[in-house]
Amino acid sequence: MNPFVAKIDKQSWVVPVSCMCLVLGFMLCMAWVTQSTRTSRQNYLPADQKIRVNENVDVDAYEKMSAEVAKLQAEKTRLEKALSSHDGQSKVLNDSLQELKVFAGMTPVTGPGVVVTLRDSPKYAGTGYGSTMMISPDATIHDVDALKVCNELVAAGAEAVSVNNLRMAGNSSLRCVGNTILVNDVKISSPVVVRAIGDPVTIMGAMNMPGGVLAEIRQMDPNMVQIEAVKSQELPAFVGNTTRKFAKPPKEGK
Amino acid sequence: MILLPIVALILGAAVALAIKLPAIPGAYGQYLAVACLAGFDTICGGVRAGLEDKFRADVFITGFVSNVLIAFFLAWFGDQIYINLFLAVALVLGARIFTNLSLIRRYGLTKWQDSRTRKRLQAQNQAVVSAQPKPNP
Repeated sequence: MNPFVAKIDKQSWVVPVSCMCLVLGFMLCMAWVTQSTRTSRQNYLPADQKIRVNENVDVDAYEKMSAEVAKLQAEKTRLEKALSSHDGQSKVLNDSLQELKVFAGMTPVTGPGVVVTLRDSPKYAGTGYGSTMMISPDATIHDVDALKVCNELVAAGAEAVSVNNLRMAGNSSLRCVGNTILVNDVKISSPVVVRAIGDPVTIMGAMNMPGGVLAEIRQMDPNMVQIEAVKSQELPAFVGNTTRKFAKPPKEGK
Repeated sequence: MILLPIVALILGAAVALAIKLPAIPGAYGQYLAVACLAGFDTICGGVRAGLEDKFRADVFITGFVSNVLIAFFLAWFGDQIYINLFLAVALVLGARIFTNLSLIRRYGLTKWQDSRTRKRLQAQNQAVVSAQPKPNP
């Protein structure tokens, strides 16, 4: 007995249902999340579901770390070889020193990135505290805003960040004092220009995330935030205090 | 008979794959996903109606088209007014799919049990008939 033709004439529902199934299969295929549509589709998911469909992120991180370990091991071998042979020893040491200095922000760096400009809301210009008009404190740029932007930039993969041409390094701080902001103990005020070096596309995407830091500020006034990608920019070296009184590297066990 | 719709479903997907239709990105992909849910619900409803002998082709086909469109535009409309109607549609359709599928399952189960009972009774009848002594001519 052929299961496809059996009873079809008796049961009128089979053919229409099959036709609509054809259409549904077509639609399902177009709605299916593929590699190319994954990113754009995820933006419409609630956060908890995003985590559920995104378990492959950890795999990526793991692979990255494994690559890092392999790289470090190769580096170690290279250094050991250089030490043992004494040939090119100083060059290897110098190379690794330069790398560390770039990482620590002790050298100027150039590269593509983004520029985020934060300024006090122009809507309320001339209506500072003391004027009769009540204005929200959200209409001005605070240290916290700059701090959050820096944090977001680093989280989005920025490799170097500067605030008003003051480089952010290991012991940098952003602090509100009166009506100015202290960056590495240097006073700045609005507009705050935050420059970051990194993949402009990734960083732009991360910064413009709905509900993100910039979106929060934009809610008050869209003119307070300006973000643009730049092909190439130079960030200065960290010029703050680098003396230490207390922190010392631990002594190697002998 | 249930095989034909399944084959058609796979055939539809195969055709879409064969002509290299691009998957829809972004919000419209989401709307289409909801529309798919609506389509699946309607097909479940159609199968159920068929099993209950209440199937009408015109009701089914217009229902399919209108449900798909309504789900799509409701999700779209929800995004325009910042209300997550997407979730509401998904919730309602999900519940309906569950109901329809459970009714289909019950129907199938009842039919299977009926046929089994019938067979057993027939076998009993046979046994009774053959056990009876043949009347002498």
